[in-house]
Amino acid sequence: MIVVNTEGVPGRRIASVLGLVQGNTVRTKHFGRDLAAGLKNIVGGELKGYTELLTEARRQAMERMLAQAQQLGADAVVNVRYTTSAVTGGAAELYAYGTAVKLAEGGE
Amino acid sequence: MNGQFDLIFQIGIPAVLVLVGLFAGRIAERRHLARLTRREAALRGMLCTNLRSYPGGVGGDGRAELVTSHAVISSDYFKTFIAGLVSIIGGELRSLQTLMDRARREATVRMLEDAQQRGFNAVCNVRYDTVDIGAAEQRRNKAIVMATIMASGTAYRTA
Repeated sequence: MIVVNTEGVPGRRIASVLGLVQGNTVRTKHFGRDLAAGLKNIVGGELKGYTELLTEARRQAMERMLAQAQQLGADAVVNVRYTTSAVTGGAAELYAYGTAVKLAEGGE
Repeated sequence: MNGQFDLIFQIGIPAVLVLVGLFAGRIAERRHLARLTRREAALRGMLCTNLRSYPGGVGGDGRAELVTSHAVISSDYFKTFIAGLVSIIGGELRSLQTLMDRARREATVRMLEDAQQRGFNAVCNVRYDTVDIGAAEQRRNKAIVMATIMASGTAYRTA
């Protein structure tokens, strides 16, 4: 599956547009990570726990989006965008969405 | 006696934390900036744009892939303290401005490194998002001050 955030796939023509596909997740880290982040807030530096949280959340949302695309029989998902929102303390919602398309055989 | 202890707790501990934040935070920031400069220098050959078309054309085997990265950089006690002071009189919060800047640069560098590792030399349609991880420490009505950036773009090889 080709996944890009541009409107088309380079060198390929879009044969048909299958529609919007999306995936989301709300994830949180265990209590210890929040505590560690609180301590790190005194001395500064990267909050690795939260970076990890976002990476996991993005992967999961992406997987769900791709599963939908696969179900539609898509070759590619174009114009992928992410949005996020805060739901509760220490948690983040990550929402990935894009347009599933079928590509034409051969070049443009 | 009791009053003295209260005073130590109410002024002494925050004062120590401000000092710890000042030194540890400054060291962390200086090291981070040095690391960023070094890594950015190694990525000088990468073409990074926010154009929706593919500047330079698509070469190689014609592949294009979404690359995404994250960076969460914490404030330190000193920065947060200064921000609190400045917000009484208003104006620019420089201490937090540099924090956001570091997070954005870190996310950009990570995205480009990821693209480079996968054999690409350009990233177009770069987007930045901020993420709100909620106030984890809201129990004590004290939010964690941090810069949270997510960068994404489409990686390809120029013709």
